[in-house]
Amino acid sequence: MGLISGLRDSISRVTDGLFSEQEPKRIGIYGPPNAGKTTLANRIARDWTGDAIGTESHIPHETRRARRKEGVEIERNGKSVTIDIVDTPGVTTKVDYEEFTDEMDKDDAIRRSREATEGVAEAMHWLREDVDGVIYVLDSAEDPITQVNTMLIGIIESRDLPVLIFANKIDLEESSVKRIEDAFPQHKTVPLSAKEGENMDEVYGNIAEYFG
Amino acid sequence: MPHQCTTCDRTFPDGSKEMLSGCPDCGGNKFQFTPKRPQSSTQREEGRQRTSGQSMTTDDDSTATGDSAIPTDESASSEGSPPGESSSFGAWPDSARRPADRSDASLTESDRVESGTHGRRQESGTDFTGDSTGADTSVSAEEENAAQASARSDVVTRDELPAHTRDGQHEDPLEGTAHEAPPETHEGRVVSEPDEERPSLDELREELNDQFESIKIVRPGQYELNLMELYDREEYIVSLQEDGRYVIDVPDSWRDGDDH
Repeated sequence: MGLISGLRDSISRVTDGLFSEQEPKRIGIYGPPNAGKTTLANRIARDWTGDAIGTESHIPHETRRARRKEGVEIERNGKSVTIDIVDTPGVTTKVDYEEFTDEMDKDDAIRRSREATEGVAEAMHWLREDVDGVIYVLDSAEDPITQVNTMLIGIIESRDLPVLIFANKIDLEESSVKRIEDAFPQHKTVPLSAKEGENMDEVYGNIAEYFG
Repeated sequence: MPHQCTTCDRTFPDGSKEMLSGCPDCGGNKFQFTPKRPQSSTQREEGRQRTSGQSMTTDDDSTATGDSAIPTDESASSEGSPPGESSSFGAWPDSARRPADRSDASLTESDRVESGTHGRRQESGTDFTGDSTGADTSVSAEEENAAQASARSDVVTRDELPAHTRDGQHEDPLEGTAHEAPPETHEGRVVSEPDEERPSLDELREELNDQFESIKIVRPGQYELNLMELYDREEYIVSLQEDGRYVIDVPDSWRDGDDH
């Protein structure tokens, strides 16, 4: 498998030079709402292209449509990988507008909920149809063992997609990377703070290695 | 006709598979759904015409046996079902499955009583012509069965839907709460009870939530999502409507239209 994908990559690198239309790998950034997916996507996009992808917010479901940043080339230790980053809406099994009524009026909260629900449907659809690898972002200050995380990671595993788990928000006091490592020992867990830019070297090294 | 192509106005019977791969005439992939079904009465009319045509040829062969069949029908109806209902059910063995599924116990029973009557009629030695007179309704009903009931069941089968919905985006009535189910329920009973009461919107929503549970609308702004269900589906729910309807996109058009 490694040999084949290595070969395929060599071939695609050659053809990249010949046909600029060659499609890079599509890496979906998945995770529950408010894990910091958009912050991470923006961090990666800014670091390598200078542009941001989407608006960050402390209110859950800020990202309600999948957003894509194409052709992000990441170089690490002589390895280079060009990826399309897909920032997806936070996946959850329940959306309730009352969660947002403190922050906005009822109509806006209801609309946000509806769009968030559509966003989850979209995220699940992308996962099924259009993603070559997954960065699974978790808030390391929260309990990682939830229905959503277990189910989503199970789906990703069932598709045999390469997956990296990012233990985000290590700048928070309550953060526990070990809790995440223990919850999903079958996957590589990378600690980081997308907001503060902590440990991004290791993040990029792993992206280049896993998705390269 | 419940479905109509919004581009060329071609209409399709409820449950038609033709439209699932786009309008065969113009290639359009948007259809509107009309819950009112004047078409079914038209079809029944056609059925009746066909029936009378066949009856005439039967009468040519043997009027006497044809006559003998009629009182039998009457005796059947006198056993507890209204005449229209009993004859329809009795003559519609295959599709009886659907109405029976949806009907209450008494309906099922009347159905059973009726088929029993048919059995007795045959046992009692009504000859071939008499039987075929009884089958007049059966013929037309079966054609209706072929055209509608099977198409209906095709639509209802979720597994089949993605496979046939290759290139068309349409507002899928299947996913609709308010508009899909009344014709569905209604259609199943139309032959027997043309103007039956419609279930309440809440009941329909409940029923559809049970059937299509990928997104459960608890109430506006509150949703429960079934991630496996969402993941497993090829079609993609693009937007939720206030009245509980979905707009879905099907795989090919989704791939072509990355930008939305």
